[in-house]
Amino acid sequence: MATITLASKRRRSALRTLAFMSPWLIGFAVFFAYPLISTVYFSFMHYDGFKPPTWSGTKNWTYVFEHYPYFWPALRNTLWLVLVMVTLRVVFGLGVGMLITKIKTGTGVFRTLFYLPYLAPPVAATMAFAFLLNPGTGPVSSILEKIGIPAPGWFNDPNWSKPALTLLALWGIGDLMVIFMAALLDVPQEQYEAAELDGASAWQRFRYVTLPNISPIVMFAVVTGVIQTMQYYTQPLIAGKVASGVIQGAGTQFEPGYPDKSTLTLPQLVYNLGFQRFDYGSACVVALVLFVLSMVFTAFLMRRRGGLNLAGD
Amino acid sequence: MAQVLDKPVQVKAPVTPAERTARRRTLLQWIAVHSLGVAAALFFTLPFVFVFLTSLMSDTQALSRDLIPHTWEWGNYKKVFDTPGFLTWWKNTLIYAGLGTVLTVVSSIPVAYALAKFRFRGRNLSLMLVISMMMLPPQVIIIPMYLFWAKQLDLSGTLWPLIIPMAFGDAFSIFLLRQFLLTIPNEYIDAAKVDGCGDLRTLLKVVIPMAKPGIAAVGLFQFFYAWNDYFGPQIYASENPGAWTLSYGLESFKGAHHTDWNLTMAATVLVMAPVILVFFFAQKAFVEGVTLTGVKG
Amino acid sequence: MPGMSRKAAIALAASASIALLATACTGQSSSGASDDASKDTTINFWHAWSAASETKAVNALVAGFEKAHPDIHVNVVANMTDDKINQALRTGGDKAPDVISSFTTNNVGKFCSSGALVDLNPFFKKDGIDPETTFPKAMNEYTQFDGDRCTAPLLGDAYGLYYNKTAFAKAGIKNPPRTWSEFETDAKKLTIAKGDSYSQLGFMPDYHGWETTTEHYFAQFSPTYFDKAGRSSLATDPAFQAGFTLQKKLVDELGGFKKLETYRATLGDEWGAKHPFHTGQVAMQLDGEWRLGMALAAKPKFDIGVAPLPVPDDQAGQYGKGYITGTITGIAATSHKQNAAWEFVKYITTNTDAVVNFSNAIHNVPSTLAALKSPNLTYDPRFKTFLDIAANPNSTTSPASINGGVYLATIQNFGYDYENGKVGDLKAGLKKTAAQIDTDIAQAK
Repeated sequence: MATITLASKRRRSALRTLAFMSPWLIGFAVFFAYPLISTVYFSFMHYDGFKPPTWSGTKNWTYVFEHYPYFWPALRNTLWLVLVMVTLRVVFGLGVGMLITKIKTGTGVFRTLFYLPYLAPPVAATMAFAFLLNPGTGPVSSILEKIGIPAPGWFNDPNWSKPALTLLALWGIGDLMVIFMAALLDVPQEQYEAAELDGASAWQRFRYVTLPNISPIVMFAVVTGVIQTMQYYTQPLIAGKVASGVIQGAGTQFEPGYPDKSTLTLPQLVYNLGFQRFDYGSACVVALVLFVLSMVFTAFLMRRRGGLNLAGD
Repeated sequence: MAQVLDKPVQVKAPVTPAERTARRRTLLQWIAVHSLGVAAALFFTLPFVFVFLTSLMSDTQALSRDLIPHTWEWGNYKKVFDTPGFLTWWKNTLIYAGLGTVLTVVSSIPVAYALAKFRFRGRNLSLMLVISMMMLPPQVIIIPMYLFWAKQLDLSGTLWPLIIPMAFGDAFSIFLLRQFLLTIPNEYIDAAKVDGCGDLRTLLKVVIPMAKPGIAAVGLFQFFYAWNDYFGPQIYASENPGAWTLSYGLESFKGAHHTDWNLTMAATVLVMAPVILVFFFAQKAFVEGVTLTGVKG
Repeated sequence: MPGMSRKAAIALAASASIALLATACTGQSSSGASDDASKDTTINFWHAWSAASETKAVNALVAGFEKAHPDIHVNVVANMTDDKINQALRTGGDKAPDVISSFTTNNVGKFCSSGALVDLNPFFKKDGIDPETTFPKAMNEYTQFDGDRCTAPLLGDAYGLYYNKTAFAKAGIKNPPRTWSEFETDAKKLTIAKGDSYSQLGFMPDYHGWETTTEHYFAQFSPTYFDKAGRSSLATDPAFQAGFTLQKKLVDELGGFKKLETYRATLGDEWGAKHPFHTGQVAMQLDGEWRLGMALAAKPKFDIGVAPLPVPDDQAGQYGKGYITGTITGIAATSHKQNAAWEFVKYITTNTDAVVNFSNAIHNVPSTLAALKSPNLTYDPRFKTFLDIAANPNSTTSPASINGGVYLATIQNFGYDYENGKVGDLKAGLKKTAAQIDTDIAQAK
């Protein structure tokens, strides 16, 4: 008669865990850990894709931080996007979410309409907005001028390109709207009623009932928004390309950040250094900066628990 | 006499001034809220409308500031379909998104189940690593990954470098599924164990049927992630037009068509439309999935 | 033991990393020209043209080659921009191109120094063709780097001045400007204000204005971009200082940067029918030879005039020169069919009839001296101006550099900062920019 020892039970349990976790374990090793170590390795090498890599020590690091003209503008842009775009998205998302909960007639229709833009593929949405905001031929400029407001340059004006991108981001507010909607509907009705009985005004009800209840979600939205900003790549790249109209003219290739480095983001630098200048080493330096920034905010998210329910049971 | 007194008489109390003000306030509120709603709806839908209208303009009119087409050039859509490669982009995007989704779901389910229901040392560490992977921008590891796929395996110019990793679980899908599986009461699982089911059978016969909404949501998310992906195809598929996807092809289309805004907008409509159509058929799963991402602290 | 799963994962990751790292560093294996060009074979040709008329012309060119060489079939792929070409050159493989063509002459330095394209000198020698006597001087300059001729010119572009003859007559100007002072005067005369903007602008000088880039402007000043040691002479060659100063003066005199940029934002696209020169919104335009065909096709309401761009007052004797660039073509180092590829390259770059026909079809400047003189060239008489500019011995181009066009982009970025007033001290700015160029080149070595 086989005795099931504690040890064999433990071993079986370990094997079982290994079996179920194996797809991810392999994926983690091959598609996360290995490339990460490689990236660190390449950041100290000089490699252009043709001749074999050679050791270059801190040369790439010095170049990126001190001589690469796009690095610091990209960081500044990221800061701007974090402070302005993330904030506006959270505020607008919350506002639209609240609006939806207050609309009693045709809620489903409104909700669907508000959510639709979020579904548009980023390339398509950016191209649509690049056309709509085109100062020469776009409808927005003609409408603004009919009202009498001078139309800004939007994607062609360095001062308006990031606001234009923010507008695009607000257009796709659907995901935040749904999250906030769910959170708002979860606020216990009794608390509102109690506040009303106490004579609280609408603002006071918002401040003392709504906000405390939804603050974990707001926090979650803010942190994930920041992390998404780190990854902001397609929209600024496409906007710059389309707005600059640089297609196949004789001579130079497209330099990112049009207009005047105002739409540069760190991910675009990885592409520029790695796949336009073919300086794989420096591209890895920027990649590591991107990594550190992302992980800092991820760690922040996990410590604050921002609604992630790690323990689970 | 009895009949008259049977029915209680409803005496309508006169409307007090306070009630009248309250009703008027509610009406005003209704108007205010719905006006805002309409304004917001305009903000969200007008871009679609303008894009669609422009796609039907003639070549020269698209360059003007007109809002409404004079002639309705439905032929623009045919022109876009006839563009060499357009149908290929469709096919490639469907393969990438479809195959990728299947692989992701199949490989993510067991991992999510283990993270939700098993107890093992390193579980919390694994969970944190999953979340870290979720938050990682793809650009961080693209250089070595590209060198690996292109130089080692000579798979550049194809979409395989994007599809194959999906067979090893996707961090976001794992996380979502795990959150969902947490909500399945352990009693069902224990009951299956008592019936003699091994872990795999429990997963297949008991858990997965109960997890259908979560699986559907995860599948949808992954499908749209692949459909909308631009960076991946840009890096791996750009050198082979036969492997382009809709996102990359659309950008190239604009480049080849310089200022044919009408054609570019028609192409844009054709790229946006499938996603929106699928959404209409799968609304519930969508909303469910989105709420899984952010709630419950 | 439950802990094993974690340890196993770490061990897996470590061994995978080491194994893959060790094999990840591979250099390029050159395949050498060992194929037999007389055997039946197919080569891949990637080019960057995308407009319908242009791709048609390329296909006709290829058909001509296939007729002359029935054993070599050419698989043509259009609309392949530089980023795609660059990637394919690095990865090689069956789908990679054997012959490429690119509009970006600036990449020649990178192509040659990295070994991405093969040196064509041995091929030219083997077939007894002397590039120095076949191609115009400027074209020889931009197709090679450091003694390595890894590309050949495939039609060229020349830049000149387009002007609105009708507007000239209205403003009382008889001839197109020959010196910069005349140019400035004419630009101001031709500018008609309308409220806060313009109804007609004499010339759009901003560096963002498509073809009015720094390198196109400065060609008129005959600059030397790099000294003998390979360092940037941006701060030392007075040509640059003169160029930047005069452009800024023009910007200020025509209304200031802000006003001009606002006006520019309302102008039509470069490749569309509403190009500001076609519509008369701009009276003079700095552009390449292809603009003539496009302008004529737009049927403007005025007479189109073509002339070389003006020269600085102190170089008046050199009037007639201009900026030359063009399309370049080369053979991929990873190609296994280099001899067959060479037959193709030789045909499209040196066969006079092929070059002439191609040039007629896409209205570019022919790239061989023989073709430039050919009686079979058909062109609008105004096009001859560009042929003359191409053949002019004083015409210049921007030299190749090891990191491609990065130095030009750096100069252009500085131009943006200077014309909008962000940078006030020109001398200091030029020094800083020159240092940036040198650092970028050092980084690429």
